Amino acid sequence: MTNDLIFDVANVTLRFGGVTSLSGVNLQHRRGEILAVIGPNGAGKTSLFNSLTGVYSPQEGSITFNSASGASTSVIGVPPHKVARLGIGRTFQASRLFNALSTFENIKVGVEARQKTGPIGAMLTLPRTRREEQHSDEKALELLEFVGLAHRLNTPADSLPYGDRRRLEIARALGTNPEVLLLDEPAAGTNPSEKLQLAELIRKIAREKAVSVLLIEHDMRLVMSLAERLYVLNFGSVIAEGTPDEIRSNNKVIDAYLGSSDAGSALGSSDA
Amino acid sequence: MSSREPRFSLNKEDVRLGATCFAGALLLAVMTGPAGTPEQPLGAAKQAIFSSHVFGFLVFGALLASLSVFRRKVRMGEWHSRRETPRRSMRSVLGMRLATMGASWWLLAFVIAVLIALLLADYTGPYVANKFSVAQLMGQFHNTRTYGYIVFVLWIVNSWRLRFSTREHRVHLPAFVKSVWFRVVASALAGFGFALCADPWLPERFSFSYFTFSGPSTHAFLSHLPTWLWSLGGLFLGARAVLADRKTSTKTNRLRARQFGVSTNTRFALYGVALFVAFEAPKFMSPFWQLAIFQQIGIFCFLAIGLNIVVGFAGLLDLGYVAFYALGAYVCAYFSGALPIHPPFILSPFLSIPFAILVCMLSGVLLGLPTLRLRGDYLAIVTLGFGEIIYVLATNLQSVTGGANGTGIIPSFTMNVPGIHFALNGQALSGDLNFYYLLLVIMIPVLLLFTSLNNSRVGRSWAAIREDEVAAASLGISGLKYKVMAFAIGASTSGVAGVLISVKSGVLFPSNFALQVSITVLVLVIFGGMGSITGVLIGSAVIGWILQFLLFHSFIDYQDADKYMYIGAMLILAMIFRPQGLWPSKRREREFHDAEGGLGSADAMSAPSDGSAA
Repeated sequence: MTNDLIFDVANVTLRFGGVTSLSGVNLQHRRGEILAVIGPNGAGKTSLFNSLTGVYSPQEGSITFNSASGASTSVIGVPPHKVARLGIGRTFQASRLFNALSTFENIKVGVEARQKTGPIGAMLTLPRTRREEQHSDEKALELLEFVGLAHRLNTPADSLPYGDRRRLEIARALGTNPEVLLLDEPAAGTNPSEKLQLAELIRKIAREKAVSVLLIEHDMRLVMSLAERLYVLNFGSVIAEGTPDEIRSNNKVIDAYLGSSDAGSALGSSDA
Repeated sequence: MSSREPRFSLNKEDVRLGATCFAGALLLAVMTGPAGTPEQPLGAAKQAIFSSHVFGFLVFGALLASLSVFRRKVRMGEWHSRRETPRRSMRSVLGMRLATMGASWWLLAFVIAVLIALLLADYTGPYVANKFSVAQLMGQFHNTRTYGYIVFVLWIVNSWRLRFSTREHRVHLPAFVKSVWFRVVASALAGFGFALCADPWLPERFSFSYFTFSGPSTHAFLSHLPTWLWSLGGLFLGARAVLADRKTSTKTNRLRARQFGVSTNTRFALYGVALFVAFEAPKFMSPFWQLAIFQQIGIFCFLAIGLNIVVGFAGLLDLGYVAFYALGAYVCAYFSGALPIHPPFILSPFLSIPFAILVCMLSGVLLGLPTLRLRGDYLAIVTLGFGEIIYVLATNLQSVTGGANGTGIIPSFTMNVPGIHFALNGQALSGDLNFYYLLLVIMIPVLLLFTSLNNSRVGRSWAAIREDEVAAASLGISGLKYKVMAFAIGASTSGVAGVLISVKSGVLFPSNFALQVSITVLVLVIFGGMGSITGVLIGSAVIGWILQFLLFHSFIDYQDADKYMYIGAMLILAMIFRPQGLWPSKRREREFHDAEGGLGSADAMSAPSDGSAA
């Protein structure tokens, strides 16, 4: 059971002073799976993400990350940059690109975070530095093409349109060679055609790069078509878990979203 | 090519083209300038600047610039040539002919080249009464420059020939041109040529008698160390170019973010001119300025470059920068035995530089590890405190530092390797230019190193941390590590500056290391443009120059102590009219733009909130 789970979250409780943000959350993310976490605003989805990436340390429970090499690591209490090095990549709800850097450089920062060149090597441009630079150039170009931004190579990140910013952020996280990618509302603020492209991209990531994807999303149509399984959070605890079809017909979920059980259409049951 | 109205707007590329032509002409004018004597090289330079010779070249440069800009505009279709139908120009006819020419044509071309070269050599030669006389023309054969001109003219003829002999602009260079040895040797020769041009003693330059091994130092060009240094530099550049050519493909080459949007060739020429000016200009300055460019300008440039790493690259506000400067200076004093406490061994100041670097780097790391977890204002206060601690220790620890009465005499730099006899023998106040050149020799490699540092993984990581530390951490970049790294590198630069100034002043007083120095250096960095090495250099030079200039030309009674008032005023003006600095780096300029548009913060200093997105 342990090794085909990439994330094993057991009984996680996170409090800020008197406010309980997560209470007894259990979540199992299988390797290679596209898993979605949904829930109304303030349900604790981003808190969960921040706990998974080491930004917050939950007071109770355990979060275990099992890497492909077989090592199991507890993520709680580990600083974010070390969590990232374990093989956990993430994007942010409000996109946090390095605005003054070009598209290409943004990805390179991600790729280079794993490299070894120190200041001395960088100053003297030693052979290893040059090799690594070459490698990160190639990798960054490959990723730009993968997410479809190759034509925006030298554009500064701050002048990219919103959909491109989202894709760039995903590419930047992919640059670190993650085993699991946490996407925090990747489709927020994008238009319908960009949403379709994004869904295609996420599928491609899971399929071609063999990266497990954990996704927070509000757009039900997107989530239902994309995710293999879903967790529904409300007020900091998991109220439902299952395949899209199971979730659609779950009364608790419908209650949480609408407060009444007469409008299933909100969960996207209208689209075939 | 529609019939558009000619628009008289010049874009960056036009300005670049024009400026290159003009600068080239100016360089030619300087290189071929009037005669000097060994005692006073280019003694009459001041008068010569207003001579017809220089103006001839400048007019030539201006004409060339406008012509090439015009041609470019026409080619781009922005302007219209009055000549509507393109007719086969004289040049293309000539080019066709050149493309198919045989040996006899080459002979003719050679003869014409010789004649043109003779005339050119005569016109650009040193001033003599009987210009254009036959004897003088024939005399040009004794000058190497004539042969240079011949090669130049033939090169132009040949490049025309190549241009027209190939259909799809494919250039058939002989295979050996691309070979490694050719390029390396050619670069070394170019370095040698530059040494030739950079030598101040003009009358014998370009003549064969110039290449002697013996005689007084000014005569013996071939036993000049600079000659060999320049040639070695060229050799190194050539070897590097060959290596780089193998490594980088053109595909990845266009990915490098550059400060100026100009080609590598132009960049190289600009750096060459800058280097030339930096080496040559001080020779024509008055003793006052020869002192000032080291003590008041050069040292501060150096300090500002170091602080730029901390403030500009890593985005940390450091108000205690002078502490490392003081540490470097006192380390030098310690190892030369000038302090009341005695070192285990006495070192020459040159050898104490590594120790100063080490001590400053260590103290930078020790100060940085606990404090760099702080953000913005808190970090500024802690560093301010550290600066004051060092200052107070230097004043009050009489048994260690000598206190306010100063240290003992610090000996001067001495070095005795063949070619360099750099010994000031304790006369620390003389030989100011020597200090300037020493600083230049230290600073130029540092500039190169820092530039490549900024364009590397480390530089990009700094930019990432500066912009968004949380996002950087999510990629696996440790903020603390890179901040401490910036702190340590900045501190060790400052330490080297401290060694230089301690030797220059001969005696150290704690008052040399007051808070004002920190503030001044910070202002230089901000004024010049944070994060841009060129900008910081320009900013420091401009402010330094203004402050010295005011000493003589102030309209009110200006004292040295008033300078902080002027610095403050300049800073206020800069903040109003050009808040991003004189010459900001591309990255920093964009950050500024974003900050004004509310997209992000300009600095890690103004702490972004707690980090997690809601």
